[in-house]
Amino acid sequence: MKQFNSGPSINTYNKLSHWFDFSNPGILKVYSGKIDIGQHISSTLALITSKITEIKYDQIEIIKLSTDVSPDEGITASSLSVANSGSAIKAASIALKINFLNYALENLQIKNEDILFENGVIKDKNSNKTVSYWDFAKTHKFKDVIIPEIFDENSLKKINYQNNQKIELKTINEIVTGKYKYVHDLNFPRMLHARIVRPPSYHCKLIKINEDFKKRLFENEIKLFVKGSFVAILSLDEFLVIKFLEIAKNNIFWEEKHQLSNDNVFNSLEKHEKETLLVKSGGEAFYEEIPEKKSFDDPKIKSLSTIFKKNYLMHGPIGPSASCAIYNESEFTVFSHSQSIFALKYSISKYFDVDPNLVTLKFMPGSGCYGHNGADDVAFEASVIAKSFPDRHILLKWTREDEHSWEPYGSASVNKVFGAINDDGEIVYWSNEAYSDTYLSRPSDIELNNFTSYKFLTNNFAKIKSKPKTSAHMGIHRNLDPIYNFKECRLVKNLVHDLPLRTSALRTLGAFANVTATESFLNDLASVKNIDPFDIRIKHLDDERAINVLKNLKKKMEIFKSKEDSFRGIAFSRYKNSAAYCAVGIELNVSDDLEIKLNHAWITVDAGEIAYEDGIKAQVEGGFIQAASWTLYEEVIFDTKEIISKDWDSYKIIGFDNIPVFTTSVIDQKGSPYLGVGEVVAGPTGAAISNALCKALGQRIKILPFTKDNITKELLN
Amino acid sequence: MNYLDCSFKINGNLKKITIIEDKTLIHVIRDELGLTGTKLGCGLEQCGSCAILIDGEKKLSCNLLAKDYQNCEITTIEGLENSDGLNNVQKVFKEFNAAQCGYCTGGIIISITALLDKINKPSSQEIQHALDGHLCRCGSHSVVLKAIDSLIKN
Repeated sequence: MKQFNSGPSINTYNKLSHWFDFSNPGILKVYSGKIDIGQHISSTLALITSKITEIKYDQIEIIKLSTDVSPDEGITASSLSVANSGSAIKAASIALKINFLNYALENLQIKNEDILFENGVIKDKNSNKTVSYWDFAKTHKFKDVIIPEIFDENSLKKINYQNNQKIELKTINEIVTGKYKYVHDLNFPRMLHARIVRPPSYHCKLIKINEDFKKRLFENEIKLFVKGSFVAILSLDEFLVIKFLEIAKNNIFWEEKHQLSNDNVFNSLEKHEKETLLVKSGGEAFYEEIPEKKSFDDPKIKSLSTIFKKNYLMHGPIGPSASCAIYNESEFTVFSHSQSIFALKYSISKYFDVDPNLVTLKFMPGSGCYGHNGADDVAFEASVIAKSFPDRHILLKWTREDEHSWEPYGSASVNKVFGAINDDGEIVYWSNEAYSDTYLSRPSDIELNNFTSYKFLTNNFAKIKSKPKTSAHMGIHRNLDPIYNFKECRLVKNLVHDLPLRTSALRTLGAFANVTATESFLNDLASVKNIDPFDIRIKHLDDERAINVLKNLKKKMEIFKSKEDSFRGIAFSRYKNSAAYCAVGIELNVSDDLEIKLNHAWITVDAGEIAYEDGIKAQVEGGFIQAASWTLYEEVIFDTKEIISKDWDSYKIIGFDNIPVFTTSVIDQKGSPYLGVGEVVAGPTGAAISNALCKALGQRIKILPFTKDNITKELLN
Repeated sequence: MNYLDCSFKINGNLKKITIIEDKTLIHVIRDELGLTGTKLGCGLEQCGSCAILIDGEKKLSCNLLAKDYQNCEITTIEGLENSDGLNNVQKVFKEFNAAQCGYCTGGIIISITALLDKINKPSSQEIQHALDGHLCRCGSHSVVLKAIDSLIKN
């Protein structure tokens, strides 16, 4: 290891006390600004700390994020949990260990060779005198340590560790015994359970609440909260609230300000007003003139064009979003499973116009999903209600219908792809135009409108235009820039306005659609010249790590013979062209009635140094399964009045009946930066399935999901 | 609102409580008895996270009328441990770290426990049938299937 870069969090939090608490003998408490959303970040961070400090994994506790004590490491998103917090904690651990060793040598007056190091305690072999991390933490020397931004080779020589350790997840014992507490399970004296009475769709103003209904609520000790067009009911008994929520639907009346558009969304994506930006090599977007698409007359060059389409997708956590809030002596305390805990704190303080120090957000686990689901909305809503019921905890839960109908979806999108390949198999031209709504409408203190209830609270139903993000691989243009050395690329990002559904960050943002389109179309171009899918990729790559991942995948797939009547496809991506590398292979069967059965999935990933191998495997296999579900089954259905996909029957996701056998390989790059694996697999999964299906049908299916209906329509075209 | 005095035998303990007459079983389990390991996911019997055992049979508790199950042996995820500690399904899920967020895991453990109580060596079709209707959004399926496979083989 030549050098280690501590990462961005250390710029702000460079003291050991920002990360470590040794106040309990024998226990090391570790702070992090990232939250557990199913990716087991706590266990990974504890393992990193343990490997470096040689304090036992079981002695290490990761403190749940709370804005009053934890470092602000931004949003838990973008596959940066290990890359940022893992790097910071590794840096803090290295600094801790080096300084502790020096302290011990000085304190015990011994030489290196006389040291016995166990469970955070150094013992002098000769005198049996000991000194521990806990002793060191009480000294000024501990307090004075400044964690370097970069560690040089000499410092790193003192650190030795293995990467292949097996651990028991910090949460697993409580999970298998039903004792793991989610925000939904909180219980406080006099706590009120709340539900929101929703209108049919986004743009509805409250007109009237029946007086008889109000009377019934009063008789049953159910409280009614109304502000603008935002309506909630509350009771000490959760069941009673649920029961009256159904009754409320027939006793509250709304005026619909705008209907949802009934145009085909793919037509709207092309026809509506849009902002068009040029994306350049490196992945940044610019307000520049878009060059005309080239055409080719040379008979040695073959060109192709295709339009790929993806429907709206939902996050769909199995447990609907929830939050618990209390307003007490002018201060808010809010328990939330939001990925944007700090942004939420500032948004809530902005809404109430109070000092941010009077708002504390505490992370409590929620049900897993990756992206901006209803968690932020429900925490904001719980705070709004709590302000009107001082000194009482308000536990607000979204219903299944709320979650399916009101969450910010992953946008529908269109990719228009055009490419040209010469007789030498070189891709001489590549054009990809992406059309989509925003992927970036997480709440912030300057964007309160991003809370779905804000418009109901203010009765302001004006439509808001989002602004395109321009930084590299941000939003719609994530992974639009192909990683390959094509001779010339023309990449265009279109942020389309006035689309029917609310959208925001869903795992990978635009990368799922862009990589699926890129890696499918690359196969189509290769097949024009009869080039093997592995060869076309490797031919256009210089990066040895990328090539190594593809070669590893090929080798792993060759070990297994294809099953009868099955078809294989592969795809590759490097997330954001700067994070983890991932190649995916799939073998599938297609039945006579066009049902797709996944037999075997191969995944090879290089995520830099392995922080926790089983954690990486769980993330990429889980990511594959979610992306396979998007690819095969998922689309949000709606009409002009409302969302039709209100439950799991009307929004199908993958079940245990279509899970392939996995062969997952993780390449360790010890000493390299952590790259994060939460999202890298999704794009290659969509494309690998698309490529295998193309072989099975002899035709490219260009609309997701690959349902029987969509495949039939495409085949008939 | 009509209230009813009821008694429930849950995880081997007899509990006497007064409930709203049409209260669902999941709300008795979670709200009245504090056994929050049983999760409310959809309230529509579509996701499996509210699975419990009633007289040894797997049932989804989100739509059952509690008053109808007063004379039954009800077991939740908290009641699966025996005198040796975790039951075999819990043990193997723990050994394989077979969960991501864990919200769906309790329901799955309940289903597989019910299956193995009836069939010692279930076929893959029988396992699939038991897992039918259990949804997971994190994608823990592969490690869950590996854990179950290991338990059955060993």
